[in-house]
Amino acid sequence: MTDYVDAGAAIPLTQLSAVKGSAPATTNVDFERIKNAGTEPENWLTYYGTYDGQRYSELDQITKDNVRRLSPAWVFQAGATGMQSGASTYSFEAAPIVVDGVMYVSGPDGKAWALDAKTGEELWRYKHASPYDVSLCCGNVNRGLAVGHGKVYMATLNAHVVALDATTGEKVWDITAGDVRAGESRTAAPLLVKDMVVVGSSGGEFGTRGCLDAFDAETGERRWRRYMIPKPGEPGAETWPSDGDAWQRGGANCWITPTYDPELELLYQGTGNPAPDFDGGVRPGDNLYTDSIVAVDVNTGEIRWHYQCTPHDLWDYDSTMENLLFDAPDGRKLLAHADKNGYFFVLDRTNGELVRVFPFCDRITWGEISPEGKVTPKVYPDEEGVPVHFWPGPAGAKEWTHMSYSKQTGLIYIPVQEVGATATRRRREFKESIPYWGAGVAVDLDDFYGFVSAVDPLTGEEKWRWRNEYPMCASNVTTAGGLVFQGTPTGEFVALDAETGEKLWSFQCGSGHHSSPSVYSVDGRQYLAVPTGWGGWIEGFLPGLLGAAAGDALFVFALPED
Amino acid sequence: MTTTAGDPSAQLADGLARQNSTGLGRLLGTGKVGHAVEGPDGRMTATVRIPEDELSWEPETIIMPHGGDLELTLINDDRNTHCAVLPNNGDPKIIWLVNHSKGTASLNLDGPGTYYYGSTTGNDEGRGLIGAIVIGGEVPDHAKLDRPAQPRP
Repeated sequence: MTDYVDAGAAIPLTQLSAVKGSAPATTNVDFERIKNAGTEPENWLTYYGTYDGQRYSELDQITKDNVRRLSPAWVFQAGATGMQSGASTYSFEAAPIVVDGVMYVSGPDGKAWALDAKTGEELWRYKHASPYDVSLCCGNVNRGLAVGHGKVYMATLNAHVVALDATTGEKVWDITAGDVRAGESRTAAPLLVKDMVVVGSSGGEFGTRGCLDAFDAETGERRWRRYMIPKPGEPGAETWPSDGDAWQRGGANCWITPTYDPELELLYQGTGNPAPDFDGGVRPGDNLYTDSIVAVDVNTGEIRWHYQCTPHDLWDYDSTMENLLFDAPDGRKLLAHADKNGYFFVLDRTNGELVRVFPFCDRITWGEISPEGKVTPKVYPDEEGVPVHFWPGPAGAKEWTHMSYSKQTGLIYIPVQEVGATATRRRREFKESIPYWGAGVAVDLDDFYGFVSAVDPLTGEEKWRWRNEYPMCASNVTTAGGLVFQGTPTGEFVALDAETGEKLWSFQCGSGHHSSPSVYSVDGRQYLAVPTGWGGWIEGFLPGLLGAAAGDALFVFALPED
Repeated sequence: MTTTAGDPSAQLADGLARQNSTGLGRLLGTGKVGHAVEGPDGRMTATVRIPEDELSWEPETIIMPHGGDLELTLINDDRNTHCAVLPNNGDPKIIWLVNHSKGTASLNLDGPGTYYYGSTTGNDEGRGLIGAIVIGGEVPDHAKLDRPAQPRP
């Protein structure tokens, strides 16, 4: 008998690192504080910075005059160990949260970190073990965290939602929120509202039944669930076939974080495409509430109103993209939404009434939306096996990445993609966990470009555009320094004059941008946190850069201290 | 296509599961399957070994009936040093396995799904020292979509 050497027990990998294992206790973040997040610009307390989704920072230390001196203060390299689920579409799509000098940020493959926001020192890390074989249409990604009540909240690839202790990273609770065998996952950043954590479903290409969940922030118990596909007999069910199974697999996932109006107590959730994406023959009707802006009562989960951007979608035009809240000079409470279909919608956010709709990209061939909101489809995959080319492609004129609004200029800055695609209808039967597209799709490998469009949402007028050889595939952010910051797919992080669009500065980060930068300050020094790492569903939005350099580094920029 | 023992292509195929035969190392996914045993307290146990000069886990795949806690015993019967970096909720775990050593790992994993682990020293993983823990079962009822049962592949 072999006399074995005692190897002992396996230890956490972090134990063999310089990770401190704890973060300083920050002041408590609660609902009241997040409601007023704009009053403490040194912090970035919630996904969009503020509930309204404006992605605007009042910090003004970095200005048009000194931005040319901006340089990296520190860099955090996320790295990877072992075989990764969805490795081919691995992407760093994070949105860093900052509280009192501590940064909380998530990465691909179930990872989350607390970092010293001033130095980049790794304070703690958490990794949710992610199955290698989960159904992921669009990447091994996580778009961010929610922080509050002494906890950090994260959604996972295998459709769990976990709460971590904010000072140690230790798990406090873990709830199974969705069914991975049904093709469900979770990739959105949770939103903390009142004493609840709100997070939606992912899995739009797998024929799930999209939903938005609210969990008790202390215990993880589910408070309510709002399905975005009505069952027979429920409001909206008349827009689905009265017989058959189409509603059961209808899509309408909520894979981007909602915005929130605390006065109206409404969440504004964009919903995803219907399933199958391109074969409308199996789901006649408008297919509510797919491709819609849905106002959800935060207390009950009831739908108060909806506006459908693309009825009976045949182009994969999710409307999951953010709904930016702003008020008109006359006090009217409005909502702005730049849709995949190439049209920009301004709604009255109290009741969903259409105020204005106009195109924000150059090439729209799929159909037309009149100023009154009437939708007329023109080009779509209808006949089996017949290729059809249309603009914008299925990634849309704007993808999930976010626009921003400047309180100084009153303009909204839209990251625009000009990419078309060809879809060929190929009907297939539905099976759980198998992609349910109903077509073969090839996105154009050339003939593309992009720009940042500065639009006046009160008139629809484009004030300026900053054109780029490649489409814009990252969120931008604007600051009281009069600047718009935008990452490009080829790695440049660019500062633009918010009034004119003039390029004032850029830095090559070594890998493309597909994330949501945030702005904060520590000890009076302003920083920009910029996760970089080209990846995600590149074949869907820019296959012309499928071979580009990848990575997953977090760059933090600041002015020199001297 | 039918092959015989004397067929060069069959010999090449046979070499895929061995060290320095057809390839330099061993093709992944050619090992045996084992099962974790569930105790009365719901905790599961399993054992894997590294046979001499095979650079593989034996069994290569362990099936857990459902998610939860797994007490894994790891035995290195090889005449070289290896390690294991193992999936675990919270943080991956690592254990060094010198020649003829035996250790344990307490792991917590969700189900269902497939989790890989391996020896990250040298190019052990490239040579074939990758194992899988596959969790069967279903998610809890409360996590399932409100719809009738759907067809599966």
